[in-house]
Amino acid sequence: MKKVLALFLVSLLLLTACSSGSKTKDTSGDAKDSNKVTVWAWDPNFNIKAMELAREAYASEDKDVEIEIIENAQDDIIQKLNTSLSSGTTKGLPNVVLIEDYRAQSFLQAYPDMFHEMTGSFKAEDFADYKIAPTSFEGKNYGLPFDTGVTGLYVRTDYLEQAGYTVEDLQNIDWDKYIEIGKKVKETTGKQMLTQDPNDLGLIRMMIQTAGSWYLEEDGVTPNLADNEALKAAFETYKKLLDADLVKPVSDWSQFLAGFNSGEVATVPTGNWITPSIKAEASQSGKWAVVPFPTLPGVADSVNASNLGGSSWYVLNVPGKEKAADFLAKTFGSSVEFYQTINKEIGAIGTYKPASEGEAYQAADEFFGGQKIIADFAAWTAEIPQVNFGLHTYAIEDILAVEAQNYIKGKELDKALKDAQGQAETQVK
Amino acid sequence: MRLIPERFRHNNLFITMFLISVIIIITVSITITWTTIRMSEQFFFEKFSITNAKVMDQVKDSFETYNYSVVVASNKLLQSGTIKRILTEESSNVQRLNAYFTLGQQMNRIESSVDTYETSIIVTGTNGIIYSTDRTYWPITDDELKSGNIFKNTLKEPKRLMYQYDVRPDKEDGNYIVTSKALMERTSGIGYGTMYFAIKENEFREFYSNYTSPGNHVFLVNKSGVIMSSDRTKLIGEKSEELLQYADEIVSEPKDYLVKNFLGKEQIILMEFLPSLEMYMFNIIDKETVFGTLIDKKKIVLISMGIVFVALIIVFFASRRMTNSLSKLVKQIGSTSKHEFDKYVTVSGTYETKQIGHAFNSMLDELHEYVDQLVVSQKNQRNAELAALQQQINPHFLYNTLTSIKFMVQQGGKEESEATINALISLLQNTIGNVSETITVKQEIDNLKNYVLINQKRYGDRIKVNYFVTPDCMDLEIPKLILQPFMENSFFHGFIRKPSGYINVLVWQDGNTLTCEVIDNGDGMEVSEDNTLPDTKRKQQHFSGIGVRNVHERIQLIYGEEYGVTISSTLGEGTKVRIILPIQK
Repeated sequence: MKKVLALFLVSLLLLTACSSGSKTKDTSGDAKDSNKVTVWAWDPNFNIKAMELAREAYASEDKDVEIEIIENAQDDIIQKLNTSLSSGTTKGLPNVVLIEDYRAQSFLQAYPDMFHEMTGSFKAEDFADYKIAPTSFEGKNYGLPFDTGVTGLYVRTDYLEQAGYTVEDLQNIDWDKYIEIGKKVKETTGKQMLTQDPNDLGLIRMMIQTAGSWYLEEDGVTPNLADNEALKAAFETYKKLLDADLVKPVSDWSQFLAGFNSGEVATVPTGNWITPSIKAEASQSGKWAVVPFPTLPGVADSVNASNLGGSSWYVLNVPGKEKAADFLAKTFGSSVEFYQTINKEIGAIGTYKPASEGEAYQAADEFFGGQKIIADFAAWTAEIPQVNFGLHTYAIEDILAVEAQNYIKGKELDKALKDAQGQAETQVK
Repeated sequence: MRLIPERFRHNNLFITMFLISVIIIITVSITITWTTIRMSEQFFFEKFSITNAKVMDQVKDSFETYNYSVVVASNKLLQSGTIKRILTEESSNVQRLNAYFTLGQQMNRIESSVDTYETSIIVTGTNGIIYSTDRTYWPITDDELKSGNIFKNTLKEPKRLMYQYDVRPDKEDGNYIVTSKALMERTSGIGYGTMYFAIKENEFREFYSNYTSPGNHVFLVNKSGVIMSSDRTKLIGEKSEELLQYADEIVSEPKDYLVKNFLGKEQIILMEFLPSLEMYMFNIIDKETVFGTLIDKKKIVLISMGIVFVALIIVFFASRRMTNSLSKLVKQIGSTSKHEFDKYVTVSGTYETKQIGHAFNSMLDELHEYVDQLVVSQKNQRNAELAALQQQINPHFLYNTLTSIKFMVQQGGKEESEATINALISLLQNTIGNVSETITVKQEIDNLKNYVLINQKRYGDRIKVNYFVTPDCMDLEIPKLILQPFMENSFFHGFIRKPSGYINVLVWQDGNTLTCEVIDNGDGMEVSEDNTLPDTKRKQQHFSGIGVRNVHERIQLIYGEEYGVTISSTLGEGTKVRIILPIQK
C-alpha cells in the first residue's frame, strides 16, 4: 500500500511541476527616454533636410541621442506654440522649434521664460549681424540663427532668350524694367512672370526692405504705413504688375511650387531657400539663373538686395533642453563642415560667417547654368538693409492685405494706406 | 480482479473505494473548475459588453459632434453666394487674385466651425479654382482634385455628405478621412464645385483612442468594408469582408455582442452603426488579452489540483483506517471458520466493525452453547437407549429358563424347581421391577447369584462361581446389570474347550474408586487393540439388551472418561475383566 501511495505522490508532484512552467517575463526598460530630442520645422525640401543632415552630423558626436524631426506647417507650429505657451504648459512641445525671424520677437517678448537661453552656447559674433537682433531679447541670445532669407530673382533663361533677353539684361534692374521685360516675355512665350498669393504680401515685404523700410518704425512697435514712401512705391509696383497681367494667382504654397515647376511662370522673386524646390524639377536644369532682386523705382536708397523669411532654431525650456542646446551648438552653431554639407546637399546658405570661406560656397551650380549662386547670394547678403521686424509683422500684413485688395479694385492708394495705418494703430498698439 | 495480487486481496474494498473516490473527486473538481471559469467568462462578457457599449455611445457622440461641425461648415459653404460666384465665374488674373483673397477670408470664417479639429478644407470650383485652407496638412494635388477617385465618388452622390478614405503615401501618418460633398444649387440641381474636409486618421482616432488598450481595439469600417480608422494602424485602408459579415450578423439577429474569430484570435465583437458617417464602428476585444489577465486559469487549476490532492490524501487515510479494521476482521474470521470455534475476534475499529465483531463473538458463544446442548442431549439419548436396553429381558432367556423349569418339574425335582423359580423371580424383580437406575452392590451380587443359579440349573454346575466382596462395598451404588454381561460372557464363551473351571467375582474399594473384577480361567481369547470384547451373535442367550460392549459405553456416559471397562485375556489361561467405578452411596 505504501508503494501505491508513494507512486501516487510522485505522479502528483510531477503533474504540478509540469504545469507550473515559469512565466517570468523580462520587463523591458520603459523609462522615459531623456536622450530624445524632438524638432519641429516646416518645408521638407529645406528646413527638414537641413535638420536631417544635422542629425547625421551629430550622430558622430553623440550616438545615444535620438533626434526626431517632425514636419508641421508653419501656421500649425505658431498655433501650437501660442496655445501651449499661453496656457503655461510645455507638454507636447518639442525640444527644438524653428521660428521665422519675423515672428521671433513676439514669442520672445511674450514668453521669455519658456525659451532656453543660448547665450554662450555659440559665438554670436560669428553670425550675420542682422540675424542677431530678431533672435535676441534684452541682450540675451535665444535663437541660433539659421538661414539668411537673402532674396534673388530666379529667372527662366530660356523664356528670356525667346523674348530676346539675356541674363545680363536683368542684372540690377528695377521693377519698372522687370515689368517691361515681363510684357515682352508674355507676348512671346505666353507665360506670366510670377505667381502671387493674395493672402501673402511677401513680395511687398521684400520690396520695402530693399529700401530699408518696414511696416513698423525703428522702434519695432509703431506702424509705419501711411507715409511710407517705399511701401507706397511697392504697392504701386504691385498694381502695375497686375495691370500688366504678369501675375498668375495662386491660393497656396503647393500651387506656388507648381507654378514654376510646371514652367508656367518665367521668374520667381523670393528667398534663396526656394533653391531646392526649384531644383526639384530636374528637367529644368540649365534653364534657370538667379539675378539680384530688383530695386523699387523712384526710391532713392533702394538696393538690389533684400530678405524674405529666414528663420532660426530655438530651444524650448522643456526637459532635454541641455541635450538639444548641445545638439544645435555642435551643428548649426559651430560646424563649418556642416554648413558646407547642407550647402552642397540642399543649397542652404547659413548666416555663419566662417562657413562662407568654404569651397562649397564657391561651387558652380550646373542647374543654374554654372552660376556660383551661393557666392552670389552670400555677396547679396552683405547688402541687405537692416530693419527691425518688430512684433507685429503679420498682424499688420493682414490689415494691409485687405487694403491691397481695395487698392487693386480701385481705392486710392493714399487712402488705402491711411486706412490701414488707422486700423493698425488701433489693433497693435 | 484477478490482476490484483494476493496481498491486495484483503484490501480489495479499500482499493475499490479509493479509486472511486479519486475518480469522483477529480471529476467533480474538473467540472466545478470548468463551470466556474465559463461562468465568470460569461459574466465578464456581459459586463464588458455593457460598459463598452456605453463607451461606444460616447465615442459615437464624438463622431456625431465632429460630423455636425462639418455639416455646419458645409452648409455655410453651400449658402455662401460669394463662394458660389467665385467658383463659377470666369475671371481675369487680377479678378482671380482678388477671388483668392476673398475666398481666403470666407474660408477663414467657415473654418471656425471646425476649428476645434485639425482639418483642412478644400473647395474646388467648376472654373478651376481650388482653394485649400491647409495644403500641407492634406497635400493632395490639384490634378487629383480634378479627376481623382475622391472627386468622382463625390459627384456620384452630389447630395450626400460622404466619408471617404484617402492615403498620402509620401507623408508620415498619411491616412486621411475625407468628408466630401458636391457644391450644388439645390433648386436647379446644377453643380458648381466640390468641398472636402480632410482630417488625419490619427486625429480622427483621438475620438476613441482613449478607450482603446492592448486587446481592446476600435475599427471604423465603411459600407464597402474598408477599414477607415483603427488603433490597429497597420490595418487601416484594408478591406475586411469578415467585419462586414459580422456587422450583418449583429444587425440581423439583434445581439449585444458576438464572439468570433478575427485576425486569428477569438474576439468579442461589439458593433454600432454610425448613420451620419455611414460607417460601422466595431469594438473588438481580444478575449485572451482581456480575460487572460482577469481569470488566471493556471492558478485556478493549480488551486483545484491542490484541493484534489489534499482531499485524496484525506480520503486515502480515512478510507484506509475504515477498511483496515474491516479487513483485519475479515482475516480473523477467515481463519476462524476453518479451525477453532473458540477463537474470538478482537473488537476494534469503527462502530460498524465493532458491531460485526460483537455479533461474530456472540455467534461463536451461541454455537458453543448449541454444541454443548447437542452433546448433552445425545448423551441423554444414548443413556436412555441403554437404559431401555437394560430393561429388556431377552424372551429367549425366559423361554429357555422356563423350559428348564418345566423339565425339572417333569422330573420331579420340586425343590430344585422352586429354587430356580425363586431365582428367576428375584432376578426379574431386580431388573424389571426396580425402576431406579442404580442398585447396591449387594443387589447386583444377588442378581448374579440368581442368574448363575439359573444357568447352573440349566447347564449343570461344571463352572464354579465364587464371590469375594468386601463388606464395606455392599451398600455402594452401581449401575444396574454391569457385571451380569461379563458373567454371561464367561459362561457361554469362556468354557467351550475346557470342560470345567471357575469364575471369580471380586469387588473392593480402592481409594476413591470401586473396582469390580470378573475373572475366569477359561479358554481366553484374542483381545483387540481397543480393549473391547468380541461381539456375540448368539443374542438369544443374552439376558438383557445390554451386551458386554455396551457396558463400557454406559459407564463412561454416566461417570466420565476416567471410568470404564478394561479387559485382559490370555489364550488358554482365562480372561480378566476389570470395571472401575466411582464410589457412590
